[in-house]
Amino acid sequence: MNIVVCVKHAVDESELRADPAGKPQLQGAQSKMSAFDRNAVEEAVRIKEKKTGTVTVISIGSGDWKKSLKEALAMGSDKAVAVNSGQSLDALGTSYYLSRAIRRAGPVDLVIFSEGASDTYHGLVGPMTAEWLELPFLGYARKLDVGDGSVRCELALEEQEEVAEATLPAVVSVVSEINEPRYPTLLQIMQASKKPMEEVALDSLKDERVPPVRVTVTDVQAQALSRKRVVFEGSPEESSKKLVDALRRDGTI
Amino acid sequence: MTVVLSYSEDRGLALELSKGASLLAATSGATASAVVVDGLGETAPGGHVLVLKSERPLAGDYELIAGALAAAAKAKNSSIILIGATKQGRQVAAKLSVMAGMGVLSDVRSLRMDGGRLTGVRGVYAGRFNATVTTDLPCIALVPAGCYQAETGAPPEVEELAVGNLPSRVRHLETRPRSKGAVDLKTAEIIVAAGRGFKKKEDLALAEALVKALGGALGSSRPLSSDLGWLSEEHHIGLTGIYVRPRLYVAVGISGQLQHVAGIKDSKVIVAINKDKQAPIFQVADYGIVGDLYQVIPALVAALAA
Amino acid sequence: MGLFQTEHENVLRTFYGPDHAAYESVLESLARFLGAEVEPMSPRFDEEGGGIAGVRKALFDQGLARIPFEAHGGISLPFGVYSLAMELVGSADAPTAMSIGVHNMVAEGVFRFGTTSQKESVFSDLISGRKLGAFSLTEPTSGSDAKSMSTTAIREGSGYALNGSKMFITNAGDADLYLVFAKTEKGHSAFLVDRSTPGLSAGADIPKLGMRGSRTSEVRFEDCHVPSESLLGEDGSGFEYAKSMLNGSRIIMGSICVGIALTAYRKALDYSKQRALFGQRLADLQLTREKIANMRTEITSGRLLCLYASRLKELGLDHASEAAQAKVLSTEMAARVCDQVIQVYGGYGYTDSDVHRHWRDARLLAIGEGTSEVLRMLIAGKEVSGQR
Repeated sequence: MNIVVCVKHAVDESELRADPAGKPQLQGAQSKMSAFDRNAVEEAVRIKEKKTGTVTVISIGSGDWKKSLKEALAMGSDKAVAVNSGQSLDALGTSYYLSRAIRRAGPVDLVIFSEGASDTYHGLVGPMTAEWLELPFLGYARKLDVGDGSVRCELALEEQEEVAEATLPAVVSVVSEINEPRYPTLLQIMQASKKPMEEVALDSLKDERVPPVRVTVTDVQAQALSRKRVVFEGSPEESSKKLVDALRRDGTI
Repeated sequence: MTVVLSYSEDRGLALELSKGASLLAATSGATASAVVVDGLGETAPGGHVLVLKSERPLAGDYELIAGALAAAAKAKNSSIILIGATKQGRQVAAKLSVMAGMGVLSDVRSLRMDGGRLTGVRGVYAGRFNATVTTDLPCIALVPAGCYQAETGAPPEVEELAVGNLPSRVRHLETRPRSKGAVDLKTAEIIVAAGRGFKKKEDLALAEALVKALGGALGSSRPLSSDLGWLSEEHHIGLTGIYVRPRLYVAVGISGQLQHVAGIKDSKVIVAINKDKQAPIFQVADYGIVGDLYQVIPALVAALAA
Repeated sequence: MGLFQTEHENVLRTFYGPDHAAYESVLESLARFLGAEVEPMSPRFDEEGGGIAGVRKALFDQGLARIPFEAHGGISLPFGVYSLAMELVGSADAPTAMSIGVHNMVAEGVFRFGTTSQKESVFSDLISGRKLGAFSLTEPTSGSDAKSMSTTAIREGSGYALNGSKMFITNAGDADLYLVFAKTEKGHSAFLVDRSTPGLSAGADIPKLGMRGSRTSEVRFEDCHVPSESLLGEDGSGFEYAKSMLNGSRIIMGSICVGIALTAYRKALDYSKQRALFGQRLADLQLTREKIANMRTEITSGRLLCLYASRLKELGLDHASEAAQAKVLSTEMAARVCDQVIQVYGGYGYTDSDVHRHWRDARLLAIGEGTSEVLRMLIAGKEVSGQR
């Protein structure tokens, strides 16, 4: 079975600071594999371990984005494709180039995405990539079962749970509840550097279908923290009374 | 004359987006049409409604809905399509975007026309920052709940459009509707949310007591619903769960990780109760009590009764 | 803030050149695990005086104990990388780091001095974490003067009978395997004794000022019979083995102290930027800046001395003095830094155990694994006798 899993080397949103003007300090900001992508890699590796096959992990990025690919290799992926992009891409562009990289990697049975990137959380690249590849998409899978030539999923939607199925090849996105990602052992980390990692230039992937950049980000500004941050002191009885008084005074209750 | 279409499989959101489409249309000399699939249903938006029909039901299948919307957009020469930012909405928008080569603004509020472009604001980096995003037309915008006031009223002007036979490759085998709690967290005015500070499932009775005393609804951080399974998924508030906008949000035993805080930012008043004074939740709270919830909650319930 | 920082990247680059990237991946991954699974538990381990078994096992599963060994299941990374790894563990939770460090000292003993069969079974059990080791040298009346120990191992039949008691033994009670030093007719020898051996009993956990998460107690041997196979290496060579094992372990204790100091320092630095007084931040006052500069410099110096001693060990060069220097400097500077951290926090430093526990943890290590006094005698002895 040939499985592809796509990961994003995302800005670590918990470490990101704002400069005095309120802009995010992206220069030198820490990045890591998007948290939910770990679940996607874990699921891909588990399927491979059950069904035998190969897991190829692909990421479009720049800077030190290969670190995330190395982690995915350490978790059990077999090979990595690092697409080097200096450009700012929107979801349409990212999914297009991912679909091209996936095609280039050879015949595929299953492509796995996470439910969304931890820094931007659009949840669009997965289903868009499926569309570029002209494959069916099953989104928000809490459980994934690969059968003979098909994949069946339990999908966690807002109002209902769904059981749905598609013939392979297909594309799936998984929710973070689907599994507990493994911590690779230190030995597996060492061995990961021996697994094949191929670097590909973004431009080498494009064909006549390449979409123009449609969506651009014109400004990013820190959300003003306008909370009062009042802490009530004293015994539980005293602080509770002060809290209730404050809430009544505000008209909140 | 361009047309702004709006659609969501969620009836409440569909009504809000219909209003949004009208507002956008008014600012740009366009008209608006609210799209429904298969049939008009009980709650119909006012204004112009476009009912898309095919040989088989379209509802519940993102491929069929995307295909139908593509046909509608073509027939109506639509420049903007507002889709409700639900999980299904995202999949519909994604497919439609690639089919038609359109950009998607996702999870955007404060939508406006800006010199032939559609512009809006969305949260990034787990909601700590706001990004202004813009795209050229035609385009799609995924709009979350709470941006517009739903308006029903005058009976709608209904137009039917047959979209022909559309392909779909996902086989829907089973649908299990979620058991709804007494109160829908998305619209709840007062919410008490429980976190890891609770040591065992039975202790949630304390949280329930506070819910009752305040007249609110019970929610939770992710660990309690997903990892521990003490509460079902519908209680999970956060980046990958439910976004809530209550008048009062009380976080009990919740540390305040960004993934959770992203879901509560629009609460009017946030109260935090936590043993650890360094817990990040206190940074985003209006009022806080540093203390053991096992002592504070009973005291709080008593203070509310007084 | 993540536990693996630019200063760790830099020290890997300066000490290891082109190989630094591979070691970075290993330490970054370890740091991620420590930050998520160990560091958050650290206050509780101190409060409850125990509970580290779970995270200790998880770290063994990660392969932490395998790092510095070249065979029999080791992953053959340089000792300096192991040293940095233990600094990271120390910065996440000091008792866990100390427990594992001492355990690994036993593993090193078996690796270097054991028979092939001991290496294949016992060593493998130790570095996998299947068995926990306890290094048993100190006694109620002999610590620094270890040679004057009174535990004896008398030949009996084909084996030995151990009699005596050991004191302040880390991991005692939890350990599966005790490396026990005892006097035989040939001199001092080392024995690998299984926990279930009749005649071996561990006392109750002794309450300590710090390192409370790590179990420490007395171990008694009352006519404890062990087979001859339990002898480690040569009969009579035990003391030499102990000195040799302690060299590596002293570097590690130094590294753990660097980790403790770094964690405490970061807290103080953050606090000083938030605390307001006299119309400014605490961090802007000159005397605070002096403290910050001193703490920063001391931590860097401790780390470098531990890495230098590590590199000497890797290269097979004599490093007993450098290891002692690294421990003396790092353990004493950690206590100084953590003391200053309490001062920076003022009243909160004295009352908040999340601040003062770092000093309490660091304070042990100028005593255990060779007191600063013994180590100074070692360093000066070599200088004066010209053995350098």
